[in-house]
Amino acid sequence: MAQVPASEWPDQPEIYFPQAPRPGQWRKSLGAVFTTTPPELTEEVRVSVPAIDFHLQRGLSKHFFAISRLQTQFVQSNLALGLRWVTPVTDRLHVGAGYDVTGWFGALQIKDVFNSQAYGIQTFPNLSVGYRLTRDLEITVKGEAIMDLYYRSQVGSLAVVYDRRQVNGVAFTVMLEQPFYNNRHVSIGFRAAYSNFNWQLWSLYDTFDRNLLYPQLIFGFIL
Amino acid sequence: MPYSFADQAGSGKFTPSTRRAIEGVYRVTDGNGDFGDQVALKWTYTHVGTDTTHYLSIFTGTDAGYFNLEINTQADSLAMAGYWRKLVNTKTGITRLAVQVRHSGALKPFTGNNLVEGDTLVVNGVYGNQEAAPTQKLTLTYNRPLNPRPFAIMAHRSGGRTSDLLPASENSVEIIKLASRLGATGIEIDVRYTKDGVPILYHDNTLNLRLIRKNGLAGPIEDYTYQQLNTLIRLVNGEKIPTLEEALETVVNNTSLNFVWLDTKYIGSMDRVQAIQQKYRQLAILAKRDLRIVIGLPTTDAVDQYNALKNKENTPILCELDTSITRGLGARIWAPRWTLGPQTDEVKAMQAEGRTVFVWTLDEPEFIREFIAENTFDGILSNYSPVVAYYHYVDQ
Repeated sequence: MAQVPASEWPDQPEIYFPQAPRPGQWRKSLGAVFTTTPPELTEEVRVSVPAIDFHLQRGLSKHFFAISRLQTQFVQSNLALGLRWVTPVTDRLHVGAGYDVTGWFGALQIKDVFNSQAYGIQTFPNLSVGYRLTRDLEITVKGEAIMDLYYRSQVGSLAVVYDRRQVNGVAFTVMLEQPFYNNRHVSIGFRAAYSNFNWQLWSLYDTFDRNLLYPQLIFGFIL
Repeated sequence: MPYSFADQAGSGKFTPSTRRAIEGVYRVTDGNGDFGDQVALKWTYTHVGTDTTHYLSIFTGTDAGYFNLEINTQADSLAMAGYWRKLVNTKTGITRLAVQVRHSGALKPFTGNNLVEGDTLVVNGVYGNQEAAPTQKLTLTYNRPLNPRPFAIMAHRSGGRTSDLLPASENSVEIIKLASRLGATGIEIDVRYTKDGVPILYHDNTLNLRLIRKNGLAGPIEDYTYQQLNTLIRLVNGEKIPTLEEALETVVNNTSLNFVWLDTKYIGSMDRVQAIQQKYRQLAILAKRDLRIVIGLPTTDAVDQYNALKNKENTPILCELDTSITRGLGARIWAPRWTLGPQTDEVKAMQAEGRTVFVWTLDEPEFIREFIAENTFDGILSNYSPVVAYYHYVDQ
């Protein structure tokens, strides 16, 4: 079979690969994120409650697209909105830069245990490099800086607020995107956040002023 | 605060009245970038036999910081040396300080009896970072007395978490001796049974590298005899896992702590713990110690164990469950979780019935500040007793 040059490979649905949807076109995926808890926080207990992970993206121009992402475990949720600028470097190699703002919210009302709620705002400036390994397999490496803008926590009638801007940590993601079945594609990969705070563990009230490792497994069906 | 000075060897020129004069809230001028604008200075001591060793603690309120200072008994002046630590991170260093008096604008050594109207005590010296020689200036100027309101400052796991890099492991004899220097007036300890029924101190369900040094053993601590644990296992900082009796003996004989909260981590009968609690309560009375040793009931299983005891007299308990269960048990102490908030109405109602109310396990510094400012609870259990001590002593 004659080899098709990379420039003629068909478009592949993708969420993480730095390539914009056509202007006005929507992309979406639905999956789950599994986060392992750092032993410093949960000690001998390992809790990994998956979060539902929904992405929605829309092309704005050849190089720009908007992203939104909702992660939720129902008692706590995280909504991200952001912009991506992307461009091909070669037929196979694409790069992108983005800026996301996320708001997270959690509420725990459990008799004799919790009467707590918290919410906060973080930003994630990020860079992505994508490489098309074959005509239907793409790998994306993404680096993010994590910055805190606002944190508010309340127990009963008492509340504390931290509104100082500070660097919270960094995160690195490696994602593969490929066909799965019936022209359906998937994103599957790993994200390692090395940070001072992770929204999913707000109720543990981490007091360590040092970065901890939060490994995540990410899986999504591209719809 | 039930606290009396012992005027015995180990204090050098720091006589009881001198030590009493030094305690207080101080303004920080030099060093406030690292330790905040004000600190609280508080004396404590440990006994070994008839010897008493005095220590000066400084609680900084910044990054859960504290100073642990020992008296230089050989010095001609009132001098102390030791280390400072910040529990939320790895920052630490050594420090040397002396006590002086500002008289008519000039500093001169404080001798303990040259303080006159208008004079101000100044504790000053140098501190360093990590292992560096101390060269940075630290100046603390007396501002006002410590808040005298009685308040229980209880250290979780007998002093704090091993993960906070304290110089002794959690639930060890060594950290019990350190607890008062961390600000604690009482401690909480975790009690389990060995395979042969010896009550010991250990927090987790299993042997793991969070708490012990690597030795190839694994699984529940209840699978091992006391002899096996004693010979084969060392805690992270090299200590042995103590028995409950060794822990209480240390509290009675070596410390000034006035409260012990026995957390019920064991499965099975409470009678052995009850017998030990009663034995050390009697020893404390004989030693003329103001010491309460109470059995914590964190679960309905623990309540069932308590109810199964044949004789409940002279068995003080602390109930962590709801107010109705606490009332039903006749517990004199109610201890709700801090994540329920201040629960002001419930707390005041329980106090009106003659109960003491503690809140646990509160480590977030801003919430510690707010809970103390609310002024309703009788005490706080925390991994960061230096933070609780700071906000309590500086409260006005």
